[in-house]
Amino acid sequence: MNQTSNSCSNFSTRLETVSVLVHRAIDAIQQKTIKKRNLIWLELTGCSGNIISLLDGANPDFKSIACQLVNFIYDNSLMASEGEAALEKLFSMADGDYILAVEGAVSTKDNGMYNIIGRWKGQPVTAYEAVKKFGEQAGHVITVGTCASDGGISAARPNPAECVGIQNLLNRRVIKLPGCPCHPDWFMGTLAYLMLFNEPELDARQRPLMFYSTLIHDICPRRPYFNQGIFASKPGEKTCMFKLGCRGPVTRVDCPIRKWNDRVNWPIGDDSPCIGCAMFGFPDKMEPFISYDTT
Amino acid sequence: MNDREIFINMIDDNLNEMSDTIDCLYTTSNFRVKNKLLNRLRKSMSNISMLTQGLRNDTSMNNPQPSSDRLFTLDELSRYNGRNGNPAYVAINDIVYDVTGNAAWGGATHFGLTAGTDVTSPFASCHAGQPILSKLKVVGKIT
Ligand code: SF4
Repeated sequence: MNQTSNSCSNFSTRLETVSVLVHRAIDAIQQKTIKKRNLIWLELTGCSGNIISLLDGANPDFKSIACQLVNFIYDNSLMASEGEAALEKLFSMADGDYILAVEGAVSTKDNGMYNIIGRWKGQPVTAYEAVKKFGEQAGHVITVGTCASDGGISAARPNPAECVGIQNLLNRRVIKLPGCPCHPDWFMGTLAYLMLFNEPELDARQRPLMFYSTLIHDICPRRPYFNQGIFASKPGEKTCMFKLGCRGPVTRVDCPIRKWNDRVNWPIGDDSPCIGCAMFGFPDKMEPFISYDTT
Repeated sequence: MNDREIFINMIDDNLNEMSDTIDCLYTTSNFRVKNKLLNRLRKSMSNISMLTQGLRNDTSMNNPQPSSDRLFTLDELSRYNGRNGNPAYVAINDIVYDVTGNAAWGGATHFGLTAGTDVTSPFASCHAGQPILSKLKVVGKIT
């Protein structure tokens, strides 16, 4: 049930995409046909789950990205510097060339005072100010995870800090990688593609088609059960979880192929319904996450 | 041209596109191009399945007539919430549709909406112009 079909060329090609892109970009850097780019990663109003997810990347892994693909200038969780010294690194990029990755939504209430990301020259710097300043000037902006892409959990009802997704504050195009968290492959593949070929093909909601083109339901290994009307009545059963409120039919992304934690498994493979974490409107519009006694 | 002919023409267009895409797949070894072409094939397939469903149900898109004379008050509709043996019905523009087996209505809920209610206005704001209603079974009207 948890196996991805290796005989399907669609699946096997897609599984190779990210490693081919990243290694090709690294080769191009070594051969000096493209330049290493600077990367700034802002962790704003969220749980920092996306940077943790990135550290979980495998083939390619985080080390190849940080050492060979980009100059990782700033990320508050991973960098050695702290306090003003860390912010100094961020602000040293102010007029430079960089790609901006943002995770977390932006709190807008009271001029953003509910999320201070550090102090610069003695003054607090809000997430709101940081996104405006570094977002407008970046070469590319990638929103990593559902909060940055659409507000997500940070903007869930009743949203006391008035959080919004990054696009609401920037008057420019951003590339959105929703998912709670974002799969390391989705970020690494997008980054490598940007460096090699510029912007990848996006859908109407600015998601890269190479990862977000298919409904989970259309490539779900339990689809034959759906077609036959064989449904699970509680989590833990091995059949289709439509009656439990599965959101696979409304969620576009490639989890069934790519899976998680070094491609070990994914929610449906572990007998729990998809909760639509990569879909716009998550979490409010995807609730309830589980339903019983459905007819 | 009537709706039926439009559906058939659109199916033909999609089949032609699929045939071109398959020709291209034979000639490319580039993995990115392959990926794109496979995505395109899947898109054409889902277009065709939508169009054939539409043809099967009725020729009129998003404007079907109730096939049943059954009348529902909003109160009666609320019993059809898709739970405990009741089917899942929703009303749109005073027509009652069955969404019990509709994949997008997992657990008889859909983007924060629940079955047994009138969903006319969210439907208009999210699905205007999409051939969705023609795929649903009509079960009656709101009085
Ligand atoms: S409803 Fe969920 S479990 Fe069932 S086939 Fe679709 S995605 Fe898979």
